[in-house]
Amino acid sequence: MNNEFEPKILGFLCNWCSYAGADLAGVSRLQYPPNIRVIRVMCSARVNPVFIFKALLGGVDGVLISGCHPGDCHYMKGNYYTRRRITAVKKLLDTVGIEPDRVRLEWVSASEGIRFADTVRDFTETIKKLGPNPLKGV
Amino acid sequence: MGRSEYSEKIQHIVSAMLRSGLVDEVLAFVQGLDEYDIVPAFIADERDAEKIVVTSYNPLSLAKLLAEYGDKDKKIAVVVRSCDARGIIELAKRNQINRDNIYMIGLECHGVAKPSDKRAKELYILGSEIEASGERTALDETLLAPNCRRCEYPLPTMADISCGIDREPMSITVNTEKGREIVSAAKLSADEGGEIESAATKERATRRQEEDFAEMRGMSAEDRLNYWLRQFDKCIKCYGCRNACPICYCKDCYLDADRILIKAGKLPPEKLFHLVRLIHVADSCLNCGQCEAACPMQIPISKLYHMLHKELSAIFHYEPGIDIAVLPPLGTISEEELKAGGVELA
Repeated sequence: MNNEFEPKILGFLCNWCSYAGADLAGVSRLQYPPNIRVIRVMCSARVNPVFIFKALLGGVDGVLISGCHPGDCHYMKGNYYTRRRITAVKKLLDTVGIEPDRVRLEWVSASEGIRFADTVRDFTETIKKLGPNPLKGV
Repeated sequence: MGRSEYSEKIQHIVSAMLRSGLVDEVLAFVQGLDEYDIVPAFIADERDAEKIVVTSYNPLSLAKLLAEYGDKDKKIAVVVRSCDARGIIELAKRNQINRDNIYMIGLECHGVAKPSDKRAKELYILGSEIEASGERTALDETLLAPNCRRCEYPLPTMADISCGIDREPMSITVNTEKGREIVSAAKLSADEGGEIESAATKERATRRQEEDFAEMRGMSAEDRLNYWLRQFDKCIKCYGCRNACPICYCKDCYLDADRILIKAGKLPPEKLFHLVRLIHVADSCLNCGQCEAACPMQIPISKLYHMLHKELSAIFHYEPGIDIAVLPPLGTISEEELKAGGVELA
């Protein structure tokens, strides 16, 4: 058994772009780390900041929120709201002393399977560097 | 001008407004049985106006009280500090108060005493001095509530009229059309146009904010987290902060036990309790200090909220409680943002 830290990452993917992007990564047989667990949401704006806090307090090491590129949102403006919200969440985490890099927002379209795989790979590396979530078990 | 003269001037304005029928009711702090009995009250009879007092004791937010108990169809005047005035504007944005029916008489305020201080009801804070039983002495800054030290708005320029305490006779500034109605009902002479807030006050407030926040910002992330976790561990989940907060207006709250998120009977509560309140409030935090004043465990929450609010207002350029037309930042999108790509906001 190797004792390297394997982070748990929760991904919120929007139904119209990023989930399809992840699907494309799958059917294209792209390799990416198995650390991510995905929840499909209808829009990235469905992700209430409370979901993110709940996940972090529940012991998840990183949270990825992914939606359509600006201008491409199926609901016109959802991803713009998400952008504001995630900015606030990151500032909040920084203020109370949790690394804001544990939360990441990325735009991934339905045709960007490679980008999705790259994002997950890169985010997993980032979280590995940060180490286990300090909120686990508080 | 001293405390009693200032009270009399306010009483005069209020009774004139009631007499002329400009408003149906007035919400203000009144003196009950003795000077230790200071309570908020709705006054409908002009004869009761003489009970109104100005005070450096601030037990609750008049904005919240107005939203909860004010009759939405009646015209109501409120004797406000700037934090109350800003609370009223924030609640009006959220459709909890009908701003058209509210007349705000603004009091100059240089901070209130810590509610835990036993002298809080006896004394009155006038700028750099305090008045206690007619005598004036220099202000001891440790007496001030911590949020008031950081306050940028001693004069409520967002109220309809603002009454300055510094000059003799009282300087009255008309800030809105409704302010003009108040002045004509009370037959006062007034300066027109909002008074420009002094740069020196703003600078002093910013300096004190930096002082207060520097300690937290200087800590490592780990120390900061441990500090706040230790503070949150003191929480007895009395819901005092939520109930006192003028920004927390929801009837059905995430933090209620029947919403599953926060388990009933668990003490101290999940840390989620504090994070949820923080994200819901911080974008519009008024730094009114009601949360911290209400906290029986003396958790320095107003510092936390204000600190985060300052970070967010630098990003979203949002100043809460000033302009009723500017909506809360997490529910709006600017024109520039619609054109911007990327996941970060500048």
